[in-house]
Amino acid sequence: MGLLDSEAGKKRLLSIEIPIIERYNLDRDKDYQVKVQRVGGGLVLRYRLKPCHNVYELETRLTSAYPTVPPETRVLTPLKHCPHLLEGQTLCLWRQGSTRAASRWDPAKYTCIFALQAAWRWLACYEVWHETGDWPLPDAR
Amino acid sequence: MARVIQVGAGSGGIAVLDAIGRDPRITQITLIEPDVYKPHNVVRHIFPPSAAGKPKGELAKAWLAERRPDLIVQVFTEDLMGAAFQNELEQIASQADVGVCAVDNEPAKYHFDAIMRRHGKPWTLGEVLSGGIGGFVHWFTPGGPCYGCVASHLKRVEESGTKGAQDNPRLSPLSPSPDYSNPQGALTETTVPAGKASIQAIASLHAVLTLRMLEWVRSQKSEVSSQRSDDGAPAADLCPLTSDLSDLGFTSLLLPLERVPGVFEEPFRPYRFRIARLAECLICQPDLGDEARMGDGEKGRMGESRTQANSPPLPSSPSPILPLSPEQLDVALDRALARLGNE
Repeated sequence: MGLLDSEAGKKRLLSIEIPIIERYNLDRDKDYQVKVQRVGGGLVLRYRLKPCHNVYELETRLTSAYPTVPPETRVLTPLKHCPHLLEGQTLCLWRQGSTRAASRWDPAKYTCIFALQAAWRWLACYEVWHETGDWPLPDAR
Repeated sequence: MARVIQVGAGSGGIAVLDAIGRDPRITQITLIEPDVYKPHNVVRHIFPPSAAGKPKGELAKAWLAERRPDLIVQVFTEDLMGAAFQNELEQIASQADVGVCAVDNEPAKYHFDAIMRRHGKPWTLGEVLSGGIGGFVHWFTPGGPCYGCVASHLKRVEESGTKGAQDNPRLSPLSPSPDYSNPQGALTETTVPAGKASIQAIASLHAVLTLRMLEWVRSQKSEVSSQRSDDGAPAADLCPLTSDLSDLGFTSLLLPLERVPGVFEEPFRPYRFRIARLAECLICQPDLGDEARMGDGEKGRMGESRTQANSPPLPSSPSPILPLSPEQLDVALDRALARLGNE
C-alpha cells in the first residue's frame, strides 16, 4: 500500500513527480540529470549537484509512504562532519518530527525536485560552513 | 438511518464514538482500530484498568452495546493503511454516509482523506494540540479542500515559536523553532501529552460537528430524492434542513483551552478558518485532471485539451486514452521509469 502499489501513488508519480523530473533533466548536462531506480516499495533518485566548486553525488529516497512521509536525501560523497548532518550522511532538511506542526515538508506543495533544491541549498551552506565555520542560513543556528 | 465509518478509538476517538453512538440517527458504525488497550491509556480513557490487554475496538463495541443495543457496530482490528485491508476499506467507505477521523499520525489522515474523497463522502477530523492547550476540528466535503489543502494552510511558517507566533494563531503554540544544531533531539510538542479534560472538550466539538455533518448528508440525500421524484420543483424548497455547511462560518475551528503567553492570550476564544481548496494542491488536484500533468512519455498519448494553466506545456497529442485502466497505469509507469534510467 504505497507509492508503487496503489493507484493514488502511481498517479502521483505519473502526473506530478515524473513530469517534474523530466523538466529538471531537460537540456541539463547528462552527468547532472536525475536517474530513478525502483527500490523496494519506493524510488531512489540519484544525481549530482555542484552548488559552488565541488561536485557531490547524492540520492533521494521516496519511500512507499511518500509524499505524506518526506523524502530523505543523503550525500554519497564523503563530507566533513557538520551539525546538520544525520547518520549515514542524511541531510537534516525537514526531519523534525512526524506531526503536521513539526514537519517542514508539505506534501500538498512540494515535489521530489523541491527536495533536490533543498539539498542544493544545504550543500551551498555546507561549502560556506566548510570555509568559515558559520552556517549561513538563519534557520540553521 | 446513517452509517458512520470511524478510524481511531484512542482517548479522543472513543469520546467521539461515545457521543455520536448515542444519537438515534446513527444506526451503524464501522470502527477501525488496530491497537490494544494498555495500562498507560487508563489515565485518558473511559475503560477501567482491568480492560488492559484487550483490543480497543472490542472494548468500544461492548461499551456501545451496553448503551445502544440496537446500534450495529462492526470492528476491524486492522491498520488503516495495511495492504491486505484496502479492498475491504474501500467497500466500507463506499457504504458510509459520514467519516470520522480520530488518528494522530499524518499518513493515516492523508490516507483516510484519499479514500473518503474517492467515494465522495464527507468526513470530520479532530486534533488535540500538544499539552491539551486547545485543539482543531475540521470538516471536509466532496469537492472541497482536501486534508492536504488544510494541512498546507495551517502549516507552521519558519518563524513559528519566535516572534511570529504572537500574532498568528495558526502557529503551533508549544513549538519552538527546531534546533538544527541538534537535529535528532527530542521535540517538545511530541512529548507533552494532553489531559483527559482537554481531549474530551475537543472530542465533544468533533462529535457535534460530525452530527451536524450528518444533518447535511441527510439534506443532500433529500435534495437528490426530491429531484428524482419531481424534476420541476426546486429541491431547496422541499428541503427544510440546512442544505450546506456554509453557515458554520468555518472549515476549521481552533479552540484554545488555556492561556499560553505569546500564543493564546485568551482561552476559549475560537479561531475560525475558512480554508479554500489550494489551486495547485498536489494531493487533490491530480484527481481533477490526471492527463494534464502526465509525463513527457505519456503526453503524446494523453491529450492536451485539458491542460491546466500552470502545468508544464504538453506537445500535441493525437489520441487521448483516459481513463487509464490499472494495467495501463502500470505500463505507463514502467515506461516513464525506464526513461529515467530504471532497469
